[in-house]
Amino acid sequence: MAFQRLGLGHGIGLRTKHFGQFESQPSPVEWVEVVTENFMAQGGRPIALLEKVRRDTPVVLHGVSLSIGSIEPLSTRYLDDLARLVDRIQPAMVTDHLCWGTWCGRYLHDLLPLPYTEESLVHVTARVEAVQERLGCQVLLENPSAYMAYRDSTMTEWEFLAELSRRADCGILLDVNNVYVSAHNLGFDPIDYLDGIPADRVGQFHLAGHSNKGKFLLDTHDAPVPEPVWCLYREALRRFGHVATLVEWDDRIPPLAEVVAESRRAEAIEAEELGPVLRRLAS
Amino acid sequence: MTLAETQALVHQAITSGTEPARGRIEGCIADTPTLSSHECVEVYANMYLWRLVDALRETFPNLSKHLGDGAFAGLAEDYVRRHPSEHHDIGQMGKLLPAFLREYPDPERPDLADLAELEWARNEVFFAPDGPAMDEQVFNSIPAAKLASLRLQLVPSVRVLRLAHDATDLWRRLENGEPPGPSMNARATAVVWRRDFQVFHCNVSLREGEALRAARAGGTLGEVCACFEGSPEPASEAFTAISSWLVERWLEGSGDAEFRSEASTLGAAPARLS
Repeated sequence: MAFQRLGLGHGIGLRTKHFGQFESQPSPVEWVEVVTENFMAQGGRPIALLEKVRRDTPVVLHGVSLSIGSIEPLSTRYLDDLARLVDRIQPAMVTDHLCWGTWCGRYLHDLLPLPYTEESLVHVTARVEAVQERLGCQVLLENPSAYMAYRDSTMTEWEFLAELSRRADCGILLDVNNVYVSAHNLGFDPIDYLDGIPADRVGQFHLAGHSNKGKFLLDTHDAPVPEPVWCLYREALRRFGHVATLVEWDDRIPPLAEVVAESRRAEAIEAEELGPVLRRLAS
Repeated sequence: MTLAETQALVHQAITSGTEPARGRIEGCIADTPTLSSHECVEVYANMYLWRLVDALRETFPNLSKHLGDGAFAGLAEDYVRRHPSEHHDIGQMGKLLPAFLREYPDPERPDLADLAELEWARNEVFFAPDGPAMDEQVFNSIPAAKLASLRLQLVPSVRVLRLAHDATDLWRRLENGEPPGPSMNARATAVVWRRDFQVFHCNVSLREGEALRAARAGGTLGEVCACFEGSPEPASEAFTAISSWLVERWLEGSGDAEFRSEASTLGAAPARLS
């Protein structure tokens, strides 16, 4: 089976602070991503704006509450709301995280890592297949930023993600910042992570800022993309080629122009890295 | 350890606020190069609370302003422990906070539960589905003989609140950065609604509040008007109130379909906010 990569180009997250500008002006970027759960309400300003933006710009729905790795059954209520939104918006992609975040019907609203075992792999594969069947489309799963690892894990996160994408026939949303943060926190080489990810499954990159908390890095999305993450992005481009790339900025959000400038920088870096490849192909 | 056992242990360690058994966590979570297994879990436990407290602060900005950051965080933490999130939308986290404040009232500010109820209603209205509003001209064209039996309904983005204290005054003061003033121990009915994407609220008389509740229940115009009986000028009061509901687009339009073709142009009634 195959995963079809969409050449969306460069996008940013559509956040409440910038609603006014998106309402009054054309989108300044090639595509936007929204946090799915923030647009599941059936009325009000968010969904009205999203429908307006969607008329001219591809939209990616990025969920945080699917809880694909939880041991309890998938939430029918959540899937119904998600399916309704997918039907209404017709997104370019539907994405969520490789994580768990619910227990006994209660939401932690966090992206907790899984133990990477065969038991987890079988469990998550079946659930991804069920979600894709329900939505009628492939989903992409994002590597979470991690602050802990389980003793029971028998494989690395990248091995798990690669095998999951093959078994469930889903895509990978490679968050470059999360790779960097997790590598720093858990003590692995981020290049090993990139080398272990199958290029034909990567459908999107995320870039974001993080905070140094002294003993660990925290994935805060509240600052510009730091230089080490830009460097890792270059490494990712060399391995995976042109991939739809998103700059995330979710806290202490600056003016729209600043977020767009960060996205333009990603675009420029992509051109620097992949320009020669394109020229060779053209000649 | 199975996946289910692992998730049960980690969930308990993150949400309980108590120290999990060291041996069990050490058996499940590996130390990182810089953090012990307990410190790893603590990172998640702290994020769990901060994220939910932040979400509550966003939903209840004036309650938070009134209490101050520290006291609000303390209240929110108690609330989160008592009412963990059961909805995939973190924005729904505050649904039970007004009831929680009624259950555990601040003796000096019993009106805070009403303030929370007002702020929660404003949040709900912001995201409420749009409904087709009854057209004022269509309403005015309905033959008099049919008016009394016309069934009314409120659009989904209108809330009618029965408050034990006048929280709208406290809300206004906090919104404007003024001192909160004393607790207003007087029953009030507040209406919260949305025009385009902006949320408004105002107090209405107790009679008008009853009339709005009758309309919410799908009562006829006659039943709604009966709520004004006992006032000095019931007909005039009912006319003024219902006219303003039409102007503010609080009435749903599904019931007026048969009269749409008979619409004529009559004079406009006054708006609530002008």
